[in-house]
Formats: sequence, C-alpha cells, structure tokens
Amino acid sequence: MSKKKTVKVELTRRDFLVIAGTAVGSVAAAQVLTTGPLSPFGSLKQDQLETGESVHEGTSSPYHWGMVIDLDKCIGCEYCLRACTATNDVEPERTWNIVVEEKNSAGNTFYFSRPCLHCQDAPCVEVCPVKATYVRDDGLVIMDYTRCIGCRYCEVACPYDARKFNWEERTDENIYAPTWGTPEVERRPRGVIEKCTFCVHRIDRGLEQGLIPGEARESTPACVNICPVEARVFGNLKDPESTVSKIIAESATFRLREELGTEPSVYYIPPKEGL
Amino acid sequence: MATLASERKQFITPGLISWLMMIGILLTIGLVSAFEVFTKGLIITNMTDLVPWGLWITVDLSSIALGAGAFTLSAVVYLLGLKRFVPIVRLAVFVGFIGYTSALLTLVMDIGRPDRFWHPWVYWNVHSVLWEITWCITLYLTIMVMEFAPVIFEAPFFDRWPWLRKVGHFLHVITPAFALLGLGVSLLHQSSLGATYGIVKSRPIWFKPSMPIMFILSAVSVGPSLTMAVAFLLEWVGGKRLIEHSILRTIAKASGFGLLAYAYLKFWDLAAVTYYGQTPAVNAALHLLSTQTPYNFGFWVGEIIIGILLPVVFFLHPRFNKRPAFLVLGAFMAIAGVIMNRWNVTVSGLTVPLSYSPGTQYVLPAGQYFPSLAEWGVVVGIIGYALLMLTLGVKFLPLFNKEEQHHA
Repeated sequence: MSKKKTVKVELTRRDFLVIAGTAVGSVAAAQVLTTGPLSPFGSLKQDQLETGESVHEGTSSPYHWGMVIDLDKCIGCEYCLRACTATNDVEPERTWNIVVEEKNSAGNTFYFSRPCLHCQDAPCVEVCPVKATYVRDDGLVIMDYTRCIGCRYCEVACPYDARKFNWEERTDENIYAPTWGTPEVERRPRGVIEKCTFCVHRIDRGLEQGLIPGEARESTPACVNICPVEARVFGNLKDPESTVSKIIAESATFRLREELGTEPSVYYIPPKEGL
Repeated sequence: MATLASERKQFITPGLISWLMMIGILLTIGLVSAFEVFTKGLIITNMTDLVPWGLWITVDLSSIALGAGAFTLSAVVYLLGLKRFVPIVRLAVFVGFIGYTSALLTLVMDIGRPDRFWHPWVYWNVHSVLWEITWCITLYLTIMVMEFAPVIFEAPFFDRWPWLRKVGHFLHVITPAFALLGLGVSLLHQSSLGATYGIVKSRPIWFKPSMPIMFILSAVSVGPSLTMAVAFLLEWVGGKRLIEHSILRTIAKASGFGLLAYAYLKFWDLAAVTYYGQTPAVNAALHLLSTQTPYNFGFWVGEIIIGILLPVVFFLHPRFNKRPAFLVLGAFMAIAGVIMNRWNVTVSGLTVPLSYSPGTQYVLPAGQYFPSLAEWGVVVGIIGYALLMLTLGVKFLPLFNKEEQHHA
C-alpha cells in the first residue's frame, strides 16, 4: 500500500578520500597522543609508576644532596636554627629552620626540626612565573634573588612552609653572630623570597677544593656541623657509600607528606617508640 | 564657534565638578598609600608569611572577572553574529579595559619588586599558571586596545591625522579576528585564575578540579551584567537613553541563566567536597573555618544569597526584569557576590594552616588577616582610577555611536 522509499547512499570519490583520511589521521593522532612526547601522560614514566623513584634521578650530576634527621636523637636544643640564622644572616623572626616540640601517639615528647626539604618535584618551582627558583642537577632547590618578582606564589604553594618573604629592607642585627657562626652570604633585598639553601655556597666551594660535602666540615651545612647529638646527617644520596645513603638503607625512614609526590630530599627517622 | 562655547559651558556642571573632586580625593588617598607602600615596603600591609595574599589579590581577581563582559559580548556580536548587541560592545570593551588595567595596577602594588614587573615576559616558566596568566592578560589588553582603537580615532581630536582614521577602519574591519583571539585568550586566563588555587595540592580547600570552571562561569555571567549596570547608570546621570532597554534586559537574562549554571556547579562542588568526597584534611579545614572565621556567613549570605539567588530572581523574573532599578541592584549584588567569592577563596584558603607535621602536637597557627589602612587606601585609589577612566571615556569617546548600528 505505502510507497517504498529507497534511500540511496551516494559515495563520491571525494567522500571516500575524506573518510579514509580522517580514519588514518585519527589513528596517527591516537598513536602520537598515547605514546609520543605530546602525550598528557608522558611525564608518568613506567619505572616511576612501578618503583616510586623520582623523575629527576636520571640527571647528569653525580650528586644528589640530601639529609637525614633522626627524631629519636634530636634533643630540641635549637642549635641548628641558631647556626643557620647566623651563617645565612637570616631574620630571627623568620628562620629558615624550625624546631618544635611534638607528641607522638603514646603522648611522649619528641622534637621535630625542618629545613627546606629540597623537593625533586617541588611545587614552588612549578608555580614560579619567572623561573626564579629551580631544581639544580644536584637536587638543590635554589633561589635567584635577582630574578624573583616577589609574587609569593611559591610561598603559597610550598606544602612545608619553608619559604619566607622579605617584607621590608632589613636593619636588624644578627643576634646569633658571632657566637653561633659568622654571616657567609649577603642579606637578601626587600621584596624577594628566601629559604634554606643547604648552605649551597659551602657545597659549591668545597667541591671546587676537592672536599666531600657531608664529610668535610667546611663544605657541610651549618646546621649539620653544630648538632651536638648528630641528629642531622648530610651527604650524597646518589653515592651508596655515603653516610646518608647507608643510614637510609639500614633504618626505617619517612619523608614529610610523601603522598603529595613532592619527592623531598630530607629523610626522617621516627622516634624509637613510633610517631 | 559660538555653539562650541555653549556646549563647553554645558559640559562643566556643578555636578560634574563635585564628581571630579570626589574622584580627586579617592586618587589622592590611593597615591599617598601607594607612596607609603613603595617607600616602606609591603611590611605596612597586614599580609604575613602565613597569609601572603590578601585584599589586593582579591581586587585583581575581581576586576579581571568583572572585565569579562568585554570578551563575552564581543564574541556574541562578532562570532555568534548577534548584531542586535552591537550598540553595547564598545561600552563593554571599554569597561573591560578599565577592569584589566585596574588589575595590573593592583598587581604592581602587590609584587615585592615592581621594578621587575616585566620579568615574566623575558624569563619563561611554561609550567606556571601565573606565567600563563601574565601573558594572557598582556595579550588580551593589547587585543582590547586594538579593538578599541577605531573608537578612539573617531574622536574629533584626531581630525588632523586622516591616516589614523584609515588605520582605525582597517582595525574595525578585522574586529572579528580580535574577538576570536580575545575569546581564546580570555577563556584561558579567566579559568587559569581559578587554577592558580586549584593546583595547589597542599591546600585542602583549594585543591579541586572545579576551581577553574567556577571562576570562568562566574566571570562570564557577572561581567556582562556590570556593563549592563553601567549603561543604566550613565543613562540616569545623563538623562538620555543610550542603549535600548530591550538589549540590556536580554543581557540581564543571560547573566541570570549564567548564574544558574554557576549555582548548579557550586552545588555539586559543595556536595563533592563536603559529602561524597570528604577527606579528613578538608573536613578539618572547613571545621576550622566555620568555627574561627565568618566563612560560612560569607559563603551562604555573600556568595549564594546576595551573589546568586537574588540576582537570578531580579534578572529572570518578568516582574523585576522590566524595572531597571532592580537590574542595576541585581548586577551590584552579583558583583558583590563575585568579590566575596574571590575573597573567600583567597583568604580562607590561606587561613587554614598547612599540615606537614609528623607528630600529633604541632600545627601552625591559623592565619589571621584583615587588610591594613594602606591596603584599603590603595584599593580606594584603584576605584578612583576606574571612575576617572569611565568619566573621561564617557565625556570624550564616542562610546554610544548610533552610526555603528547601520554600519554593522
């Protein structure tokens, strides 16, 4: 009864070429996007997913400077804070190191101290709009005071409160010098961010003189040298024979907020009775 | 000549003089505060290492969001082809220009080294959202100048340089290209401003993927309503109709629907953060904010009721949509809501202390922040600048050229 409608599909050569081209193009694009350097997942290296190792482990430098802080040994004397403040001419109100009293879950006191953790995947480095802070090949997170514009985004982004801003031109006296050390670096100008450097000037000068940072006192951070109970140990994490590497290999250590993936270079040994 | 003189007489009225005097006072307050900040440093602000961002960042974010009318209405006219809105594009772009320059002025005050403001253009960190924002804002400001140049060249002052008119005409012809570029760049940075907060993984109430989308949605819905309100206000002050009310009403309606979409997203964001996806860190943060700060009041009253619900009713309900007073009131409420939101995001996020301690005892104190006199002073100055620009623009630029309608 009803008329039959026939649907004709016309496929011209041009249509065919367009369809074929789109298909080939999609496959190529998929290939590039999933495996190529443009892939959004390119930064997730397979080995990183498997072992949790830092992306930066493969840098050319033979060094990765790191620290172990033994919370079981620390007595909370604040010598590290004072030596650091004297040596790096830091404002006593805004110290680079902090030392605080804490309680573990058993209710017993232990002391917690914190320098800059020199993260290998540092949030502060990622957010800086001018690359005024960067991770060096040897793992140190360094500030370029001549480039910083003082936007304080790094201070906002650092998960560990390690960064401090120069709110004014400083006129304060270095109250810890000369008892705890003498200033070895210039004061930072008004309007820039500063933070713990692991005493980079000592490390660089020491290496020039053929010294081993972490072993020779002249090329070791001031906080490590002054610690009366050897709660802080410094050295090359890439050298399996260094003291830090051996301690990390032998003892149970943890890093602060490891779940953020920041890959800090500072390892902590918990108090014997646990945290 | 005689007519010109009489026009000039009309031009300077007692009302205008007192208006300009008020602007002068605002600008003086701003300049004195800015001088203080430049000589003494940011120490005279109430920002600290615990709360390093405050009122100025809030003003930055808000004025950029409120400038969003420029790209939205340009795109509506030149890309969607809705020529009906042509008469308001100039005003929208001009208001946007004022918003963006206000933001840049505030930013220069806020950074510790204003002398290095140009560094992001030279030293690139392509991973930084702030770097991307700086670039986008600069680019977009340039685009707005290009888009607006033909209007400036129309002023009688430029009669003596006919070639400028030709340049202006050329720029006018290629306006759709600017609109397209402007749309792209604006969509990028308006949302990246939210990402500035959204990517910070150590701050529990910031770290979420909805941040950039909420920022752009609020900007796109509230920005055009500011242009709408400015058009009404200018009409009331000048006593003559500048833009057809039907156009302004449609803009209000669009803003209303935009705000509804924003509210919808905010609802699911709230549900995800406080109910489905709650984490101990977010719970602790929200608990601290609700017990120690007026965060909840700011959120529910400032952002939701004043910022969204009331404007939505005023913009969409026929009873209010027909009455300009309610549209202007609604626009100002929505603007207040956006400012409240940007403040709540910035300051509350920083008030919650970082938690990285291995033990149970030590936590950083909750950040305390209320802007200092100098910070308020600078903001007052910025408002003075915006009002001065608007006044000058209205007086000297053909913002409401009737010819434009035939032209397009």
